[in-house]
Amino acid sequence: MRTRNLSLLVALCAIVTCPILAQADSTPITIRFHDHRWEPLSLTVPAGQPLTIRVLNDSQETIEFESFKLNREQAMTPGQTIQVRLPALSPGSYDFYDDFHQDVPQGSIIAK
Amino acid sequence: MTEPVPPRDRKRKWIWWAVGVLAMVFGLMQLFPATETNPEVLGDLAAPPAVAKILRRSCYDCHSNETRWRWYSRIAPISWVIASHVNAARQQLNFSEWATYYPQTRVRKLEWMGRALQTEQMPPTAYLLFHPDARLSPDERAELERWIAASLNQPGS
Repeated sequence: MRTRNLSLLVALCAIVTCPILAQADSTPITIRFHDHRWEPLSLTVPAGQPLTIRVLNDSQETIEFESFKLNREQAMTPGQTIQVRLPALSPGSYDFYDDFHQDVPQGSIIAK
Repeated sequence: MTEPVPPRDRKRKWIWWAVGVLAMVFGLMQLFPATETNPEVLGDLAAPPAVAKILRRSCYDCHSNETRWRWYSRIAPISWVIASHVNAARQQLNFSEWATYYPQTRVRKLEWMGRALQTEQMPPTAYLLFHPDARLSPDERAELERWIAASLNQPGS
């Protein structure tokens, strides 16, 4: 009986803590593209932990979210949203830009 | 009273039907040709002759406005796939528009080119199957990598 109660307690703890642990990695940070610019243009993220960035193309043009430093590139049609999963970043600045439009000011992700 | 059709004849009949339908679909596809264009060269890349020669042979078919459209690139549905790939490749990097790129854009393109060479992503394997002459030798890769490194160290590359 005691073993059974203990098992139930462990299972309950797992159910409660799993979403919390999962959230630590997947708190979405959103970058929005609209009016031919990124918003925000600069964002700070915690260094040393994986993160997910949600990129939303809220414009009428096809763009490409690209970052050489992050080794990511993804074309996006109007209205499309993508999730960019990144490994733990070392402290530093990581620029991102729209590779299809040179005149769009580049943004930066600062890992601290 | 009609005689039952032997199963072998029935099978043959179905095969001919399938061939006919496929031929008709193939014929209809030809009514929708892909748009294979070579737009005007707006500002070609100025690279040393040895580098330019390698790039022209291995990269220009997709990454320039001087694509050599082969005979099979005019047959649908292959033509659709090729035209779509060429358009996407030109959007990523177009040597025929190099002079129009902002200095910052040129740096980014050079960096990506260097990475694509190091990881041997370019030229793509599928392309090399049909264009074995586009394969880069280790010496040619090294030549391109040296040129990229030199260009990145040179302002206004």
